[in-house]
Amino acid sequence: MKISNILRLMFGYRTSCIGALIILAVSSVAIAADVIAPKHYSDVDIVKKLQPPSWKCIFGTDHYGRDVFSRVVYGTRIALWVGLLVVLVEALVGVGLGLIAGYYGGGLDKVILAITDMTWALPPIVLALGVITLIGPGLTQVVAAIALVSWPPFTRVVRAKMVSLKEREFILAARSIGESSLNIIFRYLLPNIVPSIIVLMTLTLPSAILSTTALSFLGFGAQPPTPDWGAMLSEGAAQLIIAPWIATFPGIFIVITALGFNLLGDGLRDILDPKLKI
Amino acid sequence: MEHLVEVQDLKKSFLTKGGIFGKSSDVKAVDGVDLYLNKGETLGVVGESGCGKTTLGRLVLRLIKPTSGKINFDEVDITNLSERKLLWLRKRTGMVFQDPSASLNPRMNIRSTLKRPLVVHGIKDKNTIQKRIIEMLEKVGLNEDQLERFPHQISGGQQQRVAIARAIMLNPDLVVLDEPTSSLDVSVQAQILNLLLKLQRDLNLTYLFITHDLVVERHVSDRIVVMYCGKILESADTDELLGNTMHPYTVSLFSSTPIPNPHLKSTNRFIVGGEPPSLIHPPRGCRFHPRCPYAEGKCKKVEPKLVEAAKDHFLACHKFEEIDLLTYVKRFWKLMERLN
Amino acid sequence: MPLLDVKGLKTYFYTNRGVVKAVDGASFTVNENEIFCLVGETGCGKSVTALSIMRLIFPPGKILSGKALYKEEDLLKIPESEMQKIRGREISMVFQNPMNSLNPVFTIGYQISEAPTVHFNLSKKEAWKRTTDLIRDVKITDADTRAKCYPHVLSGGMRQRTMMAMMLSCNPNLLIADEPTTSLDVTIQAQILDLLIEIKKKRRMSVILITHNFGLVAEFGDRVAVMYCGKVVEIGDVTTIFRNPLHPYTRGLLRCLPIGYKRKSKLGFIPGTLPSPIDTPSGCSFHPRCEHSTKSCKLREPELVEYEKNHFVACHLYER
Repeated sequence: MKISNILRLMFGYRTSCIGALIILAVSSVAIAADVIAPKHYSDVDIVKKLQPPSWKCIFGTDHYGRDVFSRVVYGTRIALWVGLLVVLVEALVGVGLGLIAGYYGGGLDKVILAITDMTWALPPIVLALGVITLIGPGLTQVVAAIALVSWPPFTRVVRAKMVSLKEREFILAARSIGESSLNIIFRYLLPNIVPSIIVLMTLTLPSAILSTTALSFLGFGAQPPTPDWGAMLSEGAAQLIIAPWIATFPGIFIVITALGFNLLGDGLRDILDPKLKI
Repeated sequence: MEHLVEVQDLKKSFLTKGGIFGKSSDVKAVDGVDLYLNKGETLGVVGESGCGKTTLGRLVLRLIKPTSGKINFDEVDITNLSERKLLWLRKRTGMVFQDPSASLNPRMNIRSTLKRPLVVHGIKDKNTIQKRIIEMLEKVGLNEDQLERFPHQISGGQQQRVAIARAIMLNPDLVVLDEPTSSLDVSVQAQILNLLLKLQRDLNLTYLFITHDLVVERHVSDRIVVMYCGKILESADTDELLGNTMHPYTVSLFSSTPIPNPHLKSTNRFIVGGEPPSLIHPPRGCRFHPRCPYAEGKCKKVEPKLVEAAKDHFLACHKFEEIDLLTYVKRFWKLMERLN
Repeated sequence: MPLLDVKGLKTYFYTNRGVVKAVDGASFTVNENEIFCLVGETGCGKSVTALSIMRLIFPPGKILSGKALYKEEDLLKIPESEMQKIRGREISMVFQNPMNSLNPVFTIGYQISEAPTVHFNLSKKEAWKRTTDLIRDVKITDADTRAKCYPHVLSGGMRQRTMMAMMLSCNPNLLIADEPTTSLDVTIQAQILDLLIEIKKKRRMSVILITHNFGLVAEFGDRVAVMYCGKVVEIGDVTTIFRNPLHPYTRGLLRCLPIGYKRKSKLGFIPGTLPSPIDTPSGCSFHPRCEHSTKSCKLREPELVEYEKNHFVACHLYER
């Protein structure tokens, strides 16, 4: 499909267009954080602590007198980076297992499916907490923990696609000219699954971001003074009555970012892969 | 004449699962088939859906493994060869499918689609590949400017031309054509049939032409075998089979086929009732007996063997000497030929 | 007085890629008690024509103009509530894939009895009797037990019979059959079509048979209309059309059939490919593929004229 066609289709889907705009805005904020933020995220000014939003610092300050706006802006960087990393690792694990299970079938398929279903059945945050207690807190550990527990959707989707594609005649045609298994997987099957993988990645990104913020909120993720949205929420929660702005603004950003990816993902699904069901 | 392919007592059954708690059961898709293909001829395989004709085609190319029986290709036993040892066979055979849009990789452009057979079989030189692709495009009647397109950007007829080009890229001996024109419109079907006939003449190809359409089969085939429920019921040279049809099933097939000539409208037709039986529990005795108006005791108990009823005319029917169904067939095929 | 008179029917689809002129000025008449065939290749608009007559066109599709006079009433003008009374009771339709048209969660008996119960206000007992009679009419043996079956246990042929019973349940005067046997095997196709002919004779109804198969036209049709690019290019008696096709497209199509040729000889063919339905050629849509094409073919669209009695053709070659 040509880029121009995708663009035209995307404008046909108004909601996905809004999603794309939101993500564009959030990404530009992340890239240009140094320019946009008036202060560095760890600049402490104890005199001006707990100031409500004003023209000078529009999101107010926290109990160390740090500028909430600057911290939220820098937090964008972390949120996107972590989300992307989590999804990439998830996809790598999930797609790999899905390809193997779908192509070879039989006993291998059954074993992989069993592991997938078991992992999927457990509540991800609880499982991630378990992993964190094993490998210790920190942002990198959070990425690993979440990726380790939330790859099953990728395996499921890739496997299902493989099973249906394998029966298509073009695979038989490929075998009739003597293509090897490896070539069939990577030249014939995978290119037809990539759209679904992209859609799934956009749709899992928000939950990846939400999970990391949740773990940070619980204190297992980013350690202070890293401006992680989840950590900010948890800090702000203590002062929710006297300084509601500290928790509110990161919260709004979390919601907006997650919404943006969800809207885009829905639209992409309609365009690239109308049959995908998650 | 030399036989390119020989098939003996070939059987293939597939395992199906019956629901959640159901027992798995054998679907006997091909159940004891003997046939041969002469070099340079077209062997037509006719039958309704589920008669095993598609499975037969795939078995001959060893795209699937037979359950039992024997397949020889050019005097080499290919029945149990592993995929790696079959590479030479892939080079010498090709396959064309019914639905061209499903048989081409939607994410591969025409150039890559045509390039793959050459690359797989060790032709790496860019100039050779380019020359061969251009030559092949010309042969199947496509333009060079279609090379960069993807399958969904060209018409069904053009897609089928690409599929044919891919099948004959390496100058094969045998091409299995599985309903190559069934999903195409009449005007496109004529173009593709013309192309297939021309290629056969130019490249001395042997065709296994599988179809349910007798009108098409009559036009292209030298010999025809009629399949029903995994078995061959009748086989003969095309003219012999049409002029001297013996098996009641073949007659019913001919008689049911609508002929585009209104003068035949009043012909009394031989229409059998019922539907093809299940392949899991095929009927005992002759497989056609539940639908055959002439069936009697023996047909229900003993399975008829394929015997030579006339010269080179093989038949599996207990009753052929007693029944004469030619009145149903003669007039109408004569009318088809009379227009010559 | 024809039963159905379609005049200048235009149905367009407004898609993202452009306007698809699916039916672009089709005209034909269907007489009482006849089998009228609509024949043409993929995308010629034969199915959309049928759906337009039933007023079953939904956005992005739209019936732009034209008339469909049924018993002197214009089906395209009457209110939807009136149309609902026509559908099923006066005109019904059988589709290509019976499984898509049958509801998998109800027994076939229930589905057959549903429409007549509503239309004729029948009691349960009457409805059941009517249903089993209908099932017997379409030659399904053992009607009483079969009526309690669900669609998925039936074979393809049985399902198509069930569809026919459903369509006949309210005694329509006109049955539209859209490729009713395309998904069936030839021996089953023959059974179903013989049944259709028998029912048609018994009930004295008319049938519009939509097909791409000239064999079916020759075997079962009384009159035939050939469609190309959303237009009817030729209408006539089946025997006349096969004996003396006038339009170059009809002639080309008949020459394409592998009938009356020596084995393995070259078949006739129509050069070129079907035009895109978004970008149909000017003037006569067939002119880029026509061997007789002249300047006026490119400029002016030919009208459907009566060349000989009951034989209409839309081609400049025959305009006087």
